[in-house]
Order: sequence, then structure tokens, then C-alpha cells
Amino acid sequence: MDDNLLATCMTLLLAACVSSSVPALGRFRPALVLSALASALALAAAVHVTGTGEATTLTLWEPSRYATLELRLDPLGAVFAAIVGGVGLACSVFAVSYARHRPIDDLVYPLFLLMLLVVTCAGNVYTFLAAWEGMALASFALVLGDGAPRPRRQAAIVYLVMTHVATVFVAASFFIVAKESDSAEFARMDGSALSVPLASLAFLFAVVGFGTKAGLIPLHIWLPRAHPVAPSHVSALMSAAMVKTGLYGIARVGLVFLGPGEPWWGIVLMSAGAASAVLGVLYALMERDIKRILAYSTVENVGLITVGLGAAVALRAEGRDALAGAALTAALLHATNHAWFKTLLFLSAGSIQRAAHTLNIDRLGGLARALPATGAATLAGSLAIAALPPFNGFASEWILLRALIGAGGAGGGDAVQLTSLMVAGAIALTGGLAVACFVRMFGIAFLGIGRTPEAVAAREPSPIMAGVLSALAAGCLATGIASAWVVRWLQSVPAAVLGAPAAQASHGGQLALTGGGTFSPVVIAVALIALAPLPWLLARMVFGASSQTQGPVWSTGVAFRSTMQYTGTSFSKPLRLFFGRVLLPERQIEVIYHGASPLPRLVRYSGRVPALFEERLYLPLRALALWSAGRLRLLQSGSVQAYLLYMMAALAVLLVVAQ
Amino acid sequence: MNSNIEAGILGGIQVAAVVAAAPLLNGFIKKIKARFQLRQGPPLLQGYRDLAKWLSRSEHIAESSSFVRVLAPAGVLAATVAAVLFVPVFSERTPLPASGDLIVVVGLLALTRALLTLGGLDSGSAFGQMGSSRELAVGALVEPVLLLSLAALALQPQSTRLGDILAFGDAHPREFIGLGWALAAAGFAVVLVAETGRIPIDNPDTHLELTMIHEGMLIEYSGRSLGMLHYAAMIKQLLLAVLLVNLFLPFGMARFDGLPGYALGTTLVVIKVALAGFALAILESALAKRRFFELPDLIGAAAFSAMLGAGVTVLFA
Repeated sequence: MDDNLLATCMTLLLAACVSSSVPALGRFRPALVLSALASALALAAAVHVTGTGEATTLTLWEPSRYATLELRLDPLGAVFAAIVGGVGLACSVFAVSYARHRPIDDLVYPLFLLMLLVVTCAGNVYTFLAAWEGMALASFALVLGDGAPRPRRQAAIVYLVMTHVATVFVAASFFIVAKESDSAEFARMDGSALSVPLASLAFLFAVVGFGTKAGLIPLHIWLPRAHPVAPSHVSALMSAAMVKTGLYGIARVGLVFLGPGEPWWGIVLMSAGAASAVLGVLYALMERDIKRILAYSTVENVGLITVGLGAAVALRAEGRDALAGAALTAALLHATNHAWFKTLLFLSAGSIQRAAHTLNIDRLGGLARALPATGAATLAGSLAIAALPPFNGFASEWILLRALIGAGGAGGGDAVQLTSLMVAGAIALTGGLAVACFVRMFGIAFLGIGRTPEAVAAREPSPIMAGVLSALAAGCLATGIASAWVVRWLQSVPAAVLGAPAAQASHGGQLALTGGGTFSPVVIAVALIALAPLPWLLARMVFGASSQTQGPVWSTGVAFRSTMQYTGTSFSKPLRLFFGRVLLPERQIEVIYHGASPLPRLVRYSGRVPALFEERLYLPLRALALWSAGRLRLLQSGSVQAYLLYMMAALAVLLVVAQ
Repeated sequence: MNSNIEAGILGGIQVAAVVAAAPLLNGFIKKIKARFQLRQGPPLLQGYRDLAKWLSRSEHIAESSSFVRVLAPAGVLAATVAAVLFVPVFSERTPLPASGDLIVVVGLLALTRALLTLGGLDSGSAFGQMGSSRELAVGALVEPVLLLSLAALALQPQSTRLGDILAFGDAHPREFIGLGWALAAAGFAVVLVAETGRIPIDNPDTHLELTMIHEGMLIEYSGRSLGMLHYAAMIKQLLLAVLLVNLFLPFGMARFDGLPGYALGTTLVVIKVALAGFALAILESALAKRRFFELPDLIGAAAFSAMLGAGVTVLFA
């Protein structure tokens, strides 16, 4: 059944690509409608495969024994296919009302979805790499758009360069494992017999290659550039679904192909994840553009998922399989949860863009009153992404922290135990900073009063867009309350990958791991919902009904104006100073006096938080690359004799090596 | 089943007791502070009178406020009381032992912070925004200290349920008390001061000063909503004080079952919380408020202490 579903949805996506040449029927463009339908089918197939734990295969094309185009949806890949399907569904429906009609988008958007889907269910290395490349090129085309403004072109090119460097590492990692196992089929690839140095090399290549796609710091630089310039439904698809394919790759190579592995792999992965989480959210706090905030927050969340994967690798290498299963479950659960709220928030950014024509929070304000549905949905998404109960972000964070505290307990090596606890601290810090980041984003953009005429005049752009946002917000709450059932759905993955049980989602919707301490999201949600109105009812019973009067905001006696409000920049100033040694913020104050008057005529202030990794790491690297390219030009003499000599030399070297 | 019902009833009583006694601790600390300043001070029960006053008054609301104005006070109070559900007060028993652990308590406290700061931002008043901005900055630093100092205690019992930690500490004091315990306690003490908005982090007695944090966020609230927010702050203060004394000094708390045991536990916890309140009052009287931008040094030291506490527990326990 699943292979039929899968084949149907691929066909639908191809049909969607073809349909881009058909003129749109009013607003309902066939490409988007077909994409939505195909995404729904993919979601159904993937949910079924992970639920039952049985893989399904589909050979599309077999020109020769070595180059088959084969799909194989196994429980691990199906989790990510479900993410692609779900996000694709929401984005396609949203785009019906949101996206401006451009034939090229109608061609590339379904193609991007198709490639994403094939990456998650590729059955062998060739299929995977072809789809991986197709996914990169399709998203490049979507980011580039019409390519008119310079920052857009630059963002697209940085993305293209980074993604191709990543592909080299991905391919190298695959080939090490494929050569060892004498097969390029995912089902038969097994690197557990590799020598430790070679296996470690394959692992590190996978982390660098897939980590670039996932946006791990310091490989993240393309992400905050590319996500903001794409249209919102494409940003959502890239941020909530595409970066996850990188995490899928790390899980596939690190946990499935490379067998039990070494504890230090896990320590490396956990440390990289923790650094990404903390730095990602710190940079998100410094941004003013909603989409850039969300892009850096993706770096943060990818970091959290990577911590889960790293903990799974380390714990499994030490033979603590039950905890490893819990850590893997936490990573996968967070990946699906992140898909919910990040899609919601990126699409909400699309609504804001349509309503107020800017995404700069310092030019917004008061949107909660003008856009009540978008406001309520965005608030739910903000609370979910800040990992607050009873939303879904908290459930995955709970399992992750619980697994890390468990990993800190007796039974493992000192290095893994200590790293786990330090990383748990880093995650708590990330959680605190994420609360600050999203209270800031929501509070500055949606609360208070509008800072520009556009923000004051903003209205709900369309019922379809508001409807999609509300559905996603309801999903964030529902999957939070029912997270035990989501975990039960995920159980087949740790069982298949590690042979270990997941966090046991036992009776009554409770989450439990080995060791004491359980968590029931249902009870927490019921307690919160029951307790919220109780004080008001009690106060009403005891003290009677209370009356209300309305008035302007008190602002020390003068009339309240929008410029009196904090901006996003001033709001994050305490944290900018607290973390000044990490962020190295710059500011310039210029005071201009007029004649002999002691009073300044003009004060100019400018400040920025530099992108340190670009300036201190990538610019020198680029300079090095250009310099070495200049040196190598000496070889290009232009004379045919010289080139013949090079060929001879190369042949000689090859013959010697091949001996 | 029977013991479950008993636990539920006694647990309900302990939640009600914490909620009911919260203004008393506030009054007690104020009284002690006043005595240090050679003043009579407000009566012990002043907190209850203030609450009754706020709750019975009409509200004046800002024109620029949104639905967050209603959500914030209700949500903050609900999340604070929900956190009390998982804190062992008179014994290791809590009303819903399987529904939450230390991570849930940390999460619920974070939820109160998010809703409170959103409430501060709601009207657009710069005072509220200033308070929110500072609260979030301090809160972000405090969160890892809170988690790590509690996680350090959870390592030996191999359980994150707070009641299990208390029971372990009571049963095995020799293993429990050590360098890791001391370092974690030092970290948690700073959390208590920071999260209850006390000197040297915040000054609970100021209004409308540029130094304030908590009071700033409440500036646009009045009447019933203001009462709810103040009440939530009092409950949170007692909650954290109980956490500190019960988890770090659990002796005698879990030993007896049945009514005499609870009576002993009640007596012990009242004495311990009173001592903690006394200590807070001494601290507030002896210290000056630190400059806001010096706070990372203090909280950073606490974080380091908690981290070291967890590390020492891993290596030597």
C-alpha cells in the first residue's frame, strides 16, 4: 500500500511541475493544489511506515545493476518524509493565498518538494546524491527568484557554494562506507567492520557535509542569508524540512551505517550541537528582521536535535542502549515539533509581510489587536519554540534533558557523563535565551502600539492564511498534549536503528525513561487550563464582579507616543552586554556641535553585532582560496607541451600508486 | 490505590497550604527587615490585606493593551500553582507523583516568566518593557543554574522526581552531603534571590525607579489583575524557599508515614522556611543592590558553582 501511495505522490508532484505551463484557474493554481495533495499522500505513507515499522521499497528505474533509481522508505527516513509531507501540505495551502504567481516558481516549487521527498526515501547512494543535488539546485532557484536585488543574488550564491562543498563531504563519507560494505544500497551498507580511523573519518565527513545542510555553527553562514530572502512558504519549507535532511544524514551515517561507533564521536556531536544552540539563539536575539530571527532560531533548534543525536551516538557506543534510544527519540520528536512551530512562524512572517509590508520588528507594533488570529497563532508558536509547557517544544526538551541527566548518572565513562551534564546546562541556557528571544519577537512586533503608519493600518490579509496558521497553532498544542502518542509512533525507529526501546510512552499519555521521574503532558495541560480561570471565579465569588475603566498608557504625564516604546534593539541590550565577550558588539556615537554652543546639534548613533564567523573565519578562507588559485595559475602556461608533460606525470604517478 | 488517594488528599492539602501561607512569608521577611531598620514595620498579615484590597478593586486598563492583558495574570498564577503540585512540602509525597519532575518545575517557572514579561510588554509602556527586558536577561542566566543545581542532586538517586531526591537525601545523608551538594546549594541560593526579585539582584521595595525589574512589569496592571500577579510572585517565593530547604536539607522529612510523620514534616518545614526567610531578610539588610550590568558576575559564579557541583558528584560520588 505504501509503495502505491509513494508512487502516486511522486507522479502528482511531476504533474504539478508540468502543470506550471497551464494557465492558473483564478487563484487556485494547479501546481499548488497538486503539491498539497501529493504532500498529504506522502504524509500518510510516511506516518504508516513509521507506525508499523516496516520498510517499503519501490524501484523506479533500473538501467544497469549499478545505477538503479530505487526508493526505500524505512522507519527512520519515514519520520523525515512525514516532516516533508506535513510542512509541504501547510506551505502549499498557504501559498494558494500568499504566493504571487510566477510560472518559474510553479515549476520549481513542486520539483523542490519532490527532491526533498526523494532524499528522505532514497534507497541507495546514487538516488540519494542525485536528489540531494536536485534539492540544492531547486532551492537555489527559489531563493534566487527573479534575482534582481543584489543581496538576494549574494545570498543564493553563498548558499550554492556552501551546499556544494557539503556534497563533496557527503559523497566521500558514503563512498568510504559503500566500499567497505561492497554495496551502495542503504539497506545493505554497514561500516561496523571499518578500522577506527577510517570509520572516524567517514563520521566526521558526514558531520561536516550534512552539518552544513543542517546549519550547524560554524557551517551555518548560508542559512541566515538564504532563508530571509525566499518567499515565506519556501523559507518555511527550507527551514522546517530541508535542514532536517542534514540531520537525517547524520543519523543515517552515524547511527545506522557506522554501527556502535566511538564515544568521542558523540561528544563531538553533542558539543557542536550545544554550541550551535547557544550561539544560534544569541544571534537570533540580536536580529531585527523576523525571518532572520527565525533563521538563527533554526540554527538553535538544529543544535538541540544534534545534541540528541550526539547523545544517542555516545550512549550507544558505551552500550547504554535504553538511554541512547531515549536520546534518539528526543532528537526525532524535536525534529517533528520544530517542523510544526517553525512552519507556523515562517508562514506568520508571510502574513505580517502582506499585512504591514515590513518584517523589521522595530517598524511594527500593536499587531495583536489588528491581526487577532495571526497574533494568537504566533503567540502559540512562540511559546512552543521557547520550549514552554504545555506546547510540543517542551515535551521534546523534557525527554532530551531527562536523557542527558540520565547519561550524567552512573554507568558510563567520565567524559560522556561530564559532557552530558554541561550540555544539559547549555540547553537550559538556550531555553532561557529562547524565551527572551521569542517574547521579544512577539512583544515588540505584536504588542504595544504601531510604530509606522503601515503597522497601524495592518489588517488580516486573508482567511486562508489565518486558517493555516490557526491549524498549525492547534497542532503545536495538540502534539504537545499528546506527545506520548507521538513518541509511541516514533518507537519503531530506535527499535530498528539501535534495537533499543524508546522513551516508553506508557499508560495515560505519560512519558517515562529508565530511572525515576516521569512527565504527563496531559495532566500538565489539564492543570493549567483548569487553574487559569479558577482565581477569577474565586475572586468573583468572594469580592463580587469587578468593573473596568479604560485610559491611555501612563507615560510620566506627557502624551504617549509610539516612539516612547522600547525597540527590539533596546530590548536585547542587557543580553548584548551580558554576552559582550561572545558577540563583540560594535557601536559608534558621533556628536556634532554647532559653533561655540556647548549643546550638541546632532547625535548620530550606530551599532551592529558583527557576523563573527563570516568575518574571522570565512573571509580569511576566501582570501586563502583566491591566493592559492593565483599561485596555481603559474601551471597554466598555455603551451601544449607543458600540458602533455602534466598528463605524462599524472599517468606515472597513477601507475606507481596503483602498483 | 488507598495510598494513592491518601497521597492525593494530603498533596492537595499541601498545595493549598503553600498557596495560603505565601503572603505570610512575605510579611515575615518584611517584618524582620523593618526590625533591622529599627522600624515597627507592617503587621505580619499585611500581605493578606493588600491582596484583598487589590482583588476587590476595579481595574484601569490601557487602551493599547491586547488579549495578553487577560492571559498574563491568569496564566502566571496558574503556572505557579501548577509548579507547586510537584514540589514535596511536608513529606516526599506530592499530589501527582507521576506527572512531573524537576524539569517540569523548571519549565513551568519559565512559562510564568514568559507570560509575565509578555504582560509587561502588552501596553507598550516603556517601564513595562524595561522590566521585561531585564527580567528576561536575568532569567536566561538563572535557568541553567536552577536546572544544574537540581540535576546535581538527581544524579545519585537516579531520579528527577523531586520527592525521590528528598527521600534519597533523608535515607542516605552521608552520600548525599558532600562537596557537590554544597556547590549546588550555593548555586540554588543565588537562584532563590534572583527569582524572588531581592537585593542584590532587584529591589522589592522600589517603585518607578530605573533600577527595578519586577515592579516595572506590573506598572500598567491594577485592581484584580495586579492582585493576581502579586499573589503569584508571593507563591513563587515560597515555592523556591521550600525547594531550597527541602531538597538541600531533607532530613526527617520522608522518614515517617501517617499523621505523626506529616506533623513532624510540617513543623520542620515551617522552621526551615522561617530560617530561610530570616536569612533573606539579613541579606537584604546587609547588602546593597548591585548594578544591573554587574549581575552576570554573580549569576555566572552561581552557574559555575552548580556546574562544578554536578561535575564533582559525577566524579566522586
